[in-house]
Amino acid sequence: MTDAADPDLFEWRRHSLRRNRLQMIDGHLAQNVRGQEDGASVRVREAGYWGFAAGPEGSPRAQLLDQAQRNARAMARFGPRPATPLPGGRWHGEQPATGRPPLDAAQAVQRLQALHAWCTQRFPGLRSVRFLLGDELHAKQLQTGRGAESQAAIRRAVLVVTFVAEADDGRAVELPLFLSCKGSMADLELDPEALAAQLDELHGHVQAKRHAVPARGGQQTVVLAPALAGMLAHEAMGHPCEADSVLGGAITAGLLGQAIASPLVSMTDVAHTWQGQEAMMPVYVDDEGVPAVDAPLIDRGVLTGFMHSRETAQALGQAPTGSARAYGPTDEPLIRMRNTVIHPGERKLADMIAEVDDGYLLSHTANGQADATTEFMFGITLGYEIRHGRLGRAIRDTTVSGSALKVLRDVDAVSDDMYWTAAGYCGKKQPMIVSMGGPALRTRAHLGGE
Amino acid sequence: MADVWSTDAAAPALDEARLADVAAQALAALHAAGADAAQASVTRRRLTELQINHNHASLLRSTERHTLALAGLWGGRKATQELPTLLWHAGAPDAQRLAAAAAALRHDAAGAPRDEAHAFSAGQVAWHRRGPQRPDTGLLADAAQALLDFRATHTPTVMLEEAGARHHRVESCLATSGGSLLQVAQGWYEVDAFGFAAEPALAGAAPAISSFNAASGQGDTLDAARLPEAFGIGDMCRELARSTRTTSYAARFGGPGEAAVVLSPLAVSTLLGWLLDQIGDLALLAGTSPYRAAVGQVVASPLLTLDSRFDAPGLAPQSADGFVAAPLRVLDAGRLGALTPSLYGSRKLGLAHVPVAAGWQLAPGRTPLAELLAAVPRGALVGRLSMGRPAANGDFSGVIKNSFLIDGGTVGAALSETMISGNVAAMLRAVSAASAERRDTGLWCMPWLRVDGLHFS
Repeated sequence: MTDAADPDLFEWRRHSLRRNRLQMIDGHLAQNVRGQEDGASVRVREAGYWGFAAGPEGSPRAQLLDQAQRNARAMARFGPRPATPLPGGRWHGEQPATGRPPLDAAQAVQRLQALHAWCTQRFPGLRSVRFLLGDELHAKQLQTGRGAESQAAIRRAVLVVTFVAEADDGRAVELPLFLSCKGSMADLELDPEALAAQLDELHGHVQAKRHAVPARGGQQTVVLAPALAGMLAHEAMGHPCEADSVLGGAITAGLLGQAIASPLVSMTDVAHTWQGQEAMMPVYVDDEGVPAVDAPLIDRGVLTGFMHSRETAQALGQAPTGSARAYGPTDEPLIRMRNTVIHPGERKLADMIAEVDDGYLLSHTANGQADATTEFMFGITLGYEIRHGRLGRAIRDTTVSGSALKVLRDVDAVSDDMYWTAAGYCGKKQPMIVSMGGPALRTRAHLGGE
Repeated sequence: MADVWSTDAAAPALDEARLADVAAQALAALHAAGADAAQASVTRRRLTELQINHNHASLLRSTERHTLALAGLWGGRKATQELPTLLWHAGAPDAQRLAAAAAALRHDAAGAPRDEAHAFSAGQVAWHRRGPQRPDTGLLADAAQALLDFRATHTPTVMLEEAGARHHRVESCLATSGGSLLQVAQGWYEVDAFGFAAEPALAGAAPAISSFNAASGQGDTLDAARLPEAFGIGDMCRELARSTRTTSYAARFGGPGEAAVVLSPLAVSTLLGWLLDQIGDLALLAGTSPYRAAVGQVVASPLLTLDSRFDAPGLAPQSADGFVAAPLRVLDAGRLGALTPSLYGSRKLGLAHVPVAAGWQLAPGRTPLAELLAAVPRGALVGRLSMGRPAANGDFSGVIKNSFLIDGGTVGAALSETMISGNVAAMLRAVSAASAERRDTGLWCMPWLRVDGLHFS
C-alpha cells in the first residue's frame, strides 16, 4: 500500500462533505445553497514528524503520498524527534448514514414557507421571523497502514427559528430556538402543528423578554437548564480533557484520579451509543482508523480520563479512544469531542427551582467558550429570576462564567431529565459537528449584569 | 536553505484564460438550461502550512481545493450550488457534468419563491493580481523557527498550543451573464499563534495558568527577523507570561462598580464587528438594525473614522455578490457614511447598493498609548472580549480576558473572573480617547480606545 518509512503511520482518506443551507427572512428566501466538497488526502509520519497532502477528488494516491512524504522529511530541519511506535487498533467495516431520503431544495422551501405562514398567522405581533435550515453529510473512506479499512458517514440537520419582537422602548428583542437531529432535513420535525408547542413557548419567552430586566452582576445561585448542561460539559470540562490540551499543560493535567467535582457529577464523551441508543453524532471509527470507544471523563466527581489520538495516547501511556477527526477533505485529524454528556441525576427540575430563594434560571444559550484555566463563559439568551422559589421576570441577554472546577464542585442538585443537541459547531482550528447533552444543574456562577 | 526545503510538488499554473473559459462554459450551460441570468465562479485554493503544536514544529501540510459555484435565476427564482470540480484534471471543462449541474440548479430554483430582488452584477470587470504566487517553504520554516526561538528565549513559560506559518494562493474567476468578469490571482503569507502561559505547580498547589490568547496577521512576505514582534505576537506572549497570577476587579476595588476600559485593538475589532453587522444584510432585512435610518447622522464618537482596506494583503477588492468594492468610509468622525446591503438587500429594501469586501482600518488618535493609560484612574486594559453575540439593541455582557487592572493610571495585575456589561452602540459613542499607535494585522488596523462608564462585576 505504501512505501512510507513507517507503514504503520500511513492514512489515506477519501472524504465527501455535503452541506445544504436555506435562510428565510420574513418569508423571503435570502439563501438557497447546496454545497459539495470532495477530496482525498494522505498523512504519513516519518522520524517523528507528520506530513500531510490533500487534493481534489481523483487526485492520484501516489502523488499525494509523495507530497506527504516529502513534507514529513522536510521537517527534519527542526531536529531529531522521537519516532516511538504509536498504539491503536484497526477498524474494518461500514457505518452508513441513517435517516430518511434527503429533501430536495424545493421540498425544503415548501416546508419553510408553511412554517412562516403558520407563524405569521399565529403570532401577528412579531416584528420579524427568521428560519435557518441546513444539514450536512460527512462521508469518509479510510485505509491505514495498520490495516484499518472503513467507510463511515454521519449526518446532522439543524433548524434555527428566531422570533424578533419590539421592547417597550422600541428596540428589537430577539430569541432563537435551536432544533437539531441526526440525519438530514427530512428527519427534522418541520410540521408547524407538530412544532406548535415549542413555537408557542418561544413566543411566550420573547414576549417576556420585551419587559426583561438586567440581571444582577456577580456570583449567583443559578439553575442551568438541561440545554446549558451539555454546553457546560463540552466547553468547561470537555476541552480541558482533550489529551492534546492536557499535553499542552491544561490544568487537568495534574488532576487525574482526584476529586474535581461534586459527587453528583459524572461525565462521558460517548463514542456512539448512550444508554442503548445510538448517539446523535455516532463515531464508530476515527480518522486514524482506530475503533472509537467511550471516554469516561468524570466518575462521581473524580477525573478519570481523557480523549485521545494515537499520538497523545502514546505520550500519556493510555489507550486511544478513537477521538481524532478531520472536518473537511483537506483537514488533518485532531482530537475532537463526539457526544459529550453530563449524566442525569435524580431530582426534578421544578423542585430544584422551588428550593432557590434568590437566584436565576438560565434556559437558553447561543454560544460558549472555554479556557485553559477551565474558566468558561456562555452567552445567555433566555433566563428568569427566581425569587422565593418561583420564576419571576425575564432577564436581558447576559453572560455566565466561572471556573468549571468551582462550578462543578458547587453542584448540589442534578435533575433526572436530559436534553441533547447537535445544533452547533465546535471550533478548534477546524470546525466540527458534535453533540452534547445533560440534565439541569444547580450551582453558583458569575452572572454579568448591573 | 530554500533549495533543501523545496517540497512543493509540481503544480501547473492555471492561466487566467483557462479559468475564464471554465466560467464562460458554466454560464453557457446555465443558459442552455433556460436561466434568465446566471453567475459562475471558479476557484482554486492552495495552502502550504507549517504547524507548531505544543512548542514543537510538528506537521507540514499541502492542500488544494477546487470549487465551482453556480447561481441561476429562472423567472425570479434563484438557487445556488457549490461543486467540487475535476475540470482541470480532465484537461477541459466536462460538458456533461456542467449540464447536469445546471439542470439540478434549475430544479432547485423551481421550488424557490419568486423574488424580483434577486439579480446578478453586470458590467463589473477587474483583474486583481497581488503577492507571492508560489510558496517559499524555506520562509515558512524560518518564520516557525523564529517563533519557537522567541518563545524559548523571551517567554519560556508560554505554551504555543497551536501556531503556524502559511502560504495561501487563490486563483478565481467570477463571470455573470451581465458581462461581469472579476479575476483574482493572489498569494500571501499568514502567521498565527495561539497559546497560554503556565508556571510549574508549587508543592501541593495547582499550576498557575493564564488564559488563552491568539494573535495573527498576513502580508505579502514574511520577515522572520521581525516576525515575533509583528501582528502583536510578541506582545501577546509577554502578556501571557505575566498573566499566570491574577486578581479580580471586585477583590481590588471592593465590589462591582463603574469604571473605564482601554480596549486593545483586538477588542476594538470585536466592537466594530457588531457595527458592521448592523449595517449589513441580515440586520437590515430583519428590521433589527438601530442604524437603518441613521446614514449621515452621528452614531459614534468624533474620534472614530472607519475606512475600508479592501486591497490589503490576502484580500481582494470584490464583494461576495460580484462587484468591485471601491474604498469606503463607514464612519467619518463618528458620522455614519453608508449602509452596506448586498445587491439583494438593496433591491429588497430600496437602499443604495454599497459593495463591501473584508478589511477595515480605524484612524489613529493623537494620544500616545502610555499617556492614554496613565489618564485612567480606575478600570481595565482589555485584551479580549469573551461573550455571546450582543443583543440586537447592542446590550452585552462579557468576560474580559487577557486583561489587566488599571489603578491610578498604572497597569497592574492580570484580571480573572471579571465581567463588564454595557451597550455596544453606547460604547461607540462614549469613546473618549484613541491611541496614536495602531496594531496592523493586514486584515485590520486598529488603535487602542478608551471608553468610560462600563459596569464591572
